[in-house]
Amino acid sequence: MNVVNKGYQENRLERSIDHSLVPPCQSACPLHMDIREYVSLVSQGKIMEALQVIRTGNPFPSICAYVCTHPCEDDCRRSQVDKPIAIRALKRFAVEFGGDRMIEAEAETKYSEKVAIVGSGPAGLACAYYLKKLGYPVTILEAHTEVGGMLRIGIPQYRLPREVIDTEVHRLTRMGVEIRTNTRVVSLDLLFELGYKAIFITIGAHQSLRMGIEGEESPGVIDGATFLREVNLGLKPSLGRRIAVVGGGNVAIDAARTVARLGSKKVSILYRRSRVEMPADPREVEQALEEGIDIRYLASPTHIKRENRKLNVTCVKMELGEPDESGRQRPVPIKDSEFTEVFDTLISAIGQAPQTPSNFGVRLGRGSTIQVDPSTLTTNKAGVFAGGDAVTGPATVTEALAAGRLAAFRINDYLQHNYPLPVKEDEEKLSGDLLPATIEMIRKIERVEPPNLTLEARTQDFDTVELVYGWEEAINEARRCLRCGVGVEILFQDKCASCLTCLRVCPYHVPYLDASGTVHIPADQCQACGICVDECPAKAIVLRKSFDRHHVTEELGYAIKSAGESKNKPLIVGFCCQYGLFGTGSLARLWKGAKAGVWIVPVLCVAKVEATHMLSAFETGAEGVFIAGCGEQCARENTAHWVQQRVEKVRKVLAPIGLEPERLQAFALGTTADDPAEELDGFVDKIGALCLASALKQEVKS
Amino acid sequence: MIVAEQKPLEEIRRMITPYGRVLILGCGTCMTVCDAGGEHEVSFLHNALKLAEARSGNGTHVFSEYTLKRQCDPEFLELLTDKITDVDVVLSLGCGIGVQAIAERFQELPVLPGVNTSFMGMTKESGIWDERCAACGDCRLEDTAGICPITRCTKGILNGPCAGTKNGKCEANKDMDCAWVLIYQRLERLHQLEKIRRYYPPRNYRAIPRPKRIMSKTGINSGEENG
Repeated sequence: MNVVNKGYQENRLERSIDHSLVPPCQSACPLHMDIREYVSLVSQGKIMEALQVIRTGNPFPSICAYVCTHPCEDDCRRSQVDKPIAIRALKRFAVEFGGDRMIEAEAETKYSEKVAIVGSGPAGLACAYYLKKLGYPVTILEAHTEVGGMLRIGIPQYRLPREVIDTEVHRLTRMGVEIRTNTRVVSLDLLFELGYKAIFITIGAHQSLRMGIEGEESPGVIDGATFLREVNLGLKPSLGRRIAVVGGGNVAIDAARTVARLGSKKVSILYRRSRVEMPADPREVEQALEEGIDIRYLASPTHIKRENRKLNVTCVKMELGEPDESGRQRPVPIKDSEFTEVFDTLISAIGQAPQTPSNFGVRLGRGSTIQVDPSTLTTNKAGVFAGGDAVTGPATVTEALAAGRLAAFRINDYLQHNYPLPVKEDEEKLSGDLLPATIEMIRKIERVEPPNLTLEARTQDFDTVELVYGWEEAINEARRCLRCGVGVEILFQDKCASCLTCLRVCPYHVPYLDASGTVHIPADQCQACGICVDECPAKAIVLRKSFDRHHVTEELGYAIKSAGESKNKPLIVGFCCQYGLFGTGSLARLWKGAKAGVWIVPVLCVAKVEATHMLSAFETGAEGVFIAGCGEQCARENTAHWVQQRVEKVRKVLAPIGLEPERLQAFALGTTADDPAEELDGFVDKIGALCLASALKQEVKS
Repeated sequence: MIVAEQKPLEEIRRMITPYGRVLILGCGTCMTVCDAGGEHEVSFLHNALKLAEARSGNGTHVFSEYTLKRQCDPEFLELLTDKITDVDVVLSLGCGIGVQAIAERFQELPVLPGVNTSFMGMTKESGIWDERCAACGDCRLEDTAGICPITRCTKGILNGPCAGTKNGKCEANKDMDCAWVLIYQRLERLHQLEKIRRYYPPRNYRAIPRPKRIMSKTGINSGEENG
């Protein structure tokens, strides 16, 4: 009879495989950063590790930490519950507290093919970073006196401190990237003649679009990009008292807030649509309003007349009509609604386009952008690649970094004669909204915004407006993450006895029975609390991420190993939630045997501590075992209840083994007013007394 | 489903004392569903026994664990052949049927029961199981509105209720519903109250010989002697 099921054995091997799905934040990120992972690390207080994760996905995290437009937050599924995770602020925290400044990027030159990068904006810098890491000699050619492109001459200082750019540029030069400023490239052929084997054009989009109205050429009318460039390069243009800024994008807001910091009395933004349609970052708009900037919605200038050194700006009122191709409602002028206002200066910031020298010989497309193959970034000229705003038109820093990274890898393919491989989409993405029943059960935790500079201090100078989180704020914010896509799955369907335990114990009503009677745990709903994993009598359910599956066992192993080398008695093992209480360090003195004999096994929520873990701790010599969760602070539902169930179960077998049941105890720390450390000290003392008593008993017997 | 509960740890430890190498064998069907002997309980017991050995200081046992999908089918038991070559005893967390199936299949191998097989029943809620069927082989649920007096009446009487019923509860246990009151109420709801008048003569238990055997196919070898 040959009925041995080979598949059973093979299934077992699957244990080492990671099944976690790509969460929506990561899908939304142009750099495809592992956001869930670093947010999770921050929530555990592992800031250096978080920074490491950030650095693997982002060449210049410190820059993104200030200026990223965080599309990840727009897609964050926590917004279906309350508000999205403050991902950018958490990155800023990790960058500042993790010691990003100290990190040395190393690279050695492996190849002889030189690569020239035209433009030192974010795309150019990122491309240089990755090409250098790959081992190419890289030269950046920058037309301006300063390195950084739009980072330096476009983004105002109060949003991105100049030291941050300097640090990153310095790091690049330490890696061996050659940077030549004041070098305007006039001919690509000349670069090839100079021996460069590949060229990456990333000249940005610096040319402001014209409003196309009468009087636009008058003195006193200036375009946004030029204005910001002048201020950012240290000039102080004299503007007068009344300033108008035309436009509703980030440049318009940047220009208006910069003007406010230069001491002008009254700044008005004229925008032809309403606030909802404004393309600028809503938080920036809010801060602009706080700073006293006046925004006139549904107003558009029609002509400008200069009289007595003043600008008479005639505007027309607009109303919103049918949606246009961008999906926003088209503004339509209202008849006879013209009004005229007097300004000293008018800054037009209605958009920018690249200005590619015609003798570059690259094919241009819509809006003077350079045409490239989107997957290889190659232009019509051999060996010439292009990316960033020059290709896309004005876009975000993160998109430019992504383009730079892509260019580096494609240039590598080109120089090494690799055929570019089609982009493999083998990762499974998580999609779908949370179900109402699940949303209802998720604990609502308020989003913590990072503090801002006081209003008075803000408009005095160009100091950074947004400040960084404190330790505890950051950890509490990071704990809100729903950890989409790393929940559980019924990995061993053949073992599932359809007992429905998972369906009954899940606090979030996630598992369901399909019409054929099979139990499913949908990945897009699971909240990764881990309760069902130990409750499943068939052990058919596992956490999707291999790290989560082995974490407790491994940590217990480390704790026991270190305990074995210590002489402190009695040995006590504590499974402690690494989130919250322990992460913030308020129980730091319990860590790693600081209190004689106590060994902490950090766990990512006590619901993941299984009954067998408790038994193993006793078996390896622990005289007492405690489980300390964060009680009411827990971001998950019902965890303490299930821990108590498991504790009771283990206690039942302790007595016949000759161990007092009190040797095992669960604490929900942080729920009572008592000092949590004191509560645990009481337990430690009790174990000491029990050990002494049993030793005496032994002596009496013998 | 067959419902059982794991034997107390002391009893299990006493049973395995004479043996050295013990295979703890789980069952993936009923015993898994009733939390008595699925893979989870197997590994819990394994850990508990190891702990007991470590603490008693005279640990001489070697434990291994394995869980079959079902212990009561000979084909599944074949999967055990290479698992039992180096064990002295199988501690079965299957129901009584599983234990006997192993005893029947492996003539030379001692097998121990790790659970007390208790009844046939259903899940009331997570962690609570109730008896519902006595497998009497002569089902009368048609007349009792789908409520079995043999299992759900403490006395198992067929023509109830007895005089001990009070406020719908049983005299043996004040928290337990009187099965016959339940039957009456449900018959009333179903407009079948006339069925309560039917009289059942005492059962002739001699007419139900044991062990029973059911043959669903004709013309097949009637097998060896049962038992």
